[in-house]
Amino acid sequence: MISPAYTAPTSSSRVPDILGVLARWLVGGLFIYMGLNKALHPVDFLKLVHQYELVSTPFLLNAIGAALPWFEVFCGLLLVAGIAVRGSALIMVVMLVPFTLVVLKRALAISAAEHIPFTQVKFDCGCGTGEVFIWRKMIENSVLILLSLWLIAGAGKKLCARFALWRARAPNPITLRPVPSRG
Amino acid sequence: MKNVLAEALVVAVAGAALAFAANALSPRGLKLSRDFFGPARPSPTNAVPAPTNAVAADTNVVTVTTTNTPSPHELLAARLRDKGLTLVDSNQVVRLFHDPRCQQSLVIFVDAREDEYYKKGHIPGAYQLDYYRPENYLAALLPLCQLAEQIVVYCNGGNCEDSEFAANFLLSASVPKEKLLVYGGGLNEWVTNGLPLEIGERLSGQIQTNLVR
Repeated sequence: MISPAYTAPTSSSRVPDILGVLARWLVGGLFIYMGLNKALHPVDFLKLVHQYELVSTPFLLNAIGAALPWFEVFCGLLLVAGIAVRGSALIMVVMLVPFTLVVLKRALAISAAEHIPFTQVKFDCGCGTGEVFIWRKMIENSVLILLSLWLIAGAGKKLCARFALWRARAPNPITLRPVPSRG
Repeated sequence: MKNVLAEALVVAVAGAALAFAANALSPRGLKLSRDFFGPARPSPTNAVPAPTNAVAADTNVVTVTTTNTPSPHELLAARLRDKGLTLVDSNQVVRLFHDPRCQQSLVIFVDAREDEYYKKGHIPGAYQLDYYRPENYLAALLPLCQLAEQIVVYCNGGNCEDSEFAANFLLSASVPKEKLLVYGGGLNEWVTNGLPLEIGERLSGQIQTNLVR
């Protein structure tokens, strides 16, 4: 029986749900696509990571080149399937923010060294999509970061295999005392 | 928020474990223990790596080039000289390609690129030594290197350093340095010069000519 407090979902209340699911699929799908591109060409990705001079230890460099693409694919799959959505989205943000800053730093360095406007700096940033204009990559990554933050905030709950790994602890249920029968 | 952090931690640990397993199982996987690039060296290409700012053609910005900075080509030549290796240019490579000793495997070409790129096109008759997976090729290649009088190692050229790495690798595998020649212009220059390419496996018979870009 429908309780008096229940209100049927209206089309306007469904819009954020649909957008949340689309955001989840978009972020997840992009990570799968870009991760697979890198995973299938790990040497090319390793060379690009090497150019950033982020780490000096060969083992760490190789570990990033070898594992990061597959890790991205894994996180992307979780988002598309709707498993551990908020945790996966948090990982996305943790990967996207430093990566975006590193690419920005390199683009600014190229812009200064080559005396060209920032909008014309173009290189393969190791994103899995080949050579790109960096200003476009900055916008793309900013959008991905915002969408991931939205997912962390709880969007994209519909059509999830398991939105959260653990159920949030419910408040103590109100215990209803049986009404003593009269007579 | 605690739940989200815990969830992220579980995802990170599970993802890392699966990622390393996938790398280990993948035929294209990388060996984690190898030092592919050697010690870091200061060079302009390391400071601002491989920009491809070809779009600047229609701007009014004048690119300032300082004559004091050695070009990547000069740096490569200096590094090879330090190791006792020789850098060769296009003319020398073409002469070696037409050298009758090529037929007797006394002059051999070694392609230092990955399998995928090798099969798309290589210098006809070139042997393959994927520098990142040498174990697959070394057993067949080393005896040939010992017999050969001259070995031309190449990759794509330009910013590609694989030919240099592969030559150093052969040097460490006891191939005499006097034999080793590095073709700095690489396959890009070869193709630009309209020289033939062999497609697929070595001696596949599929030769492409007139590939001027």
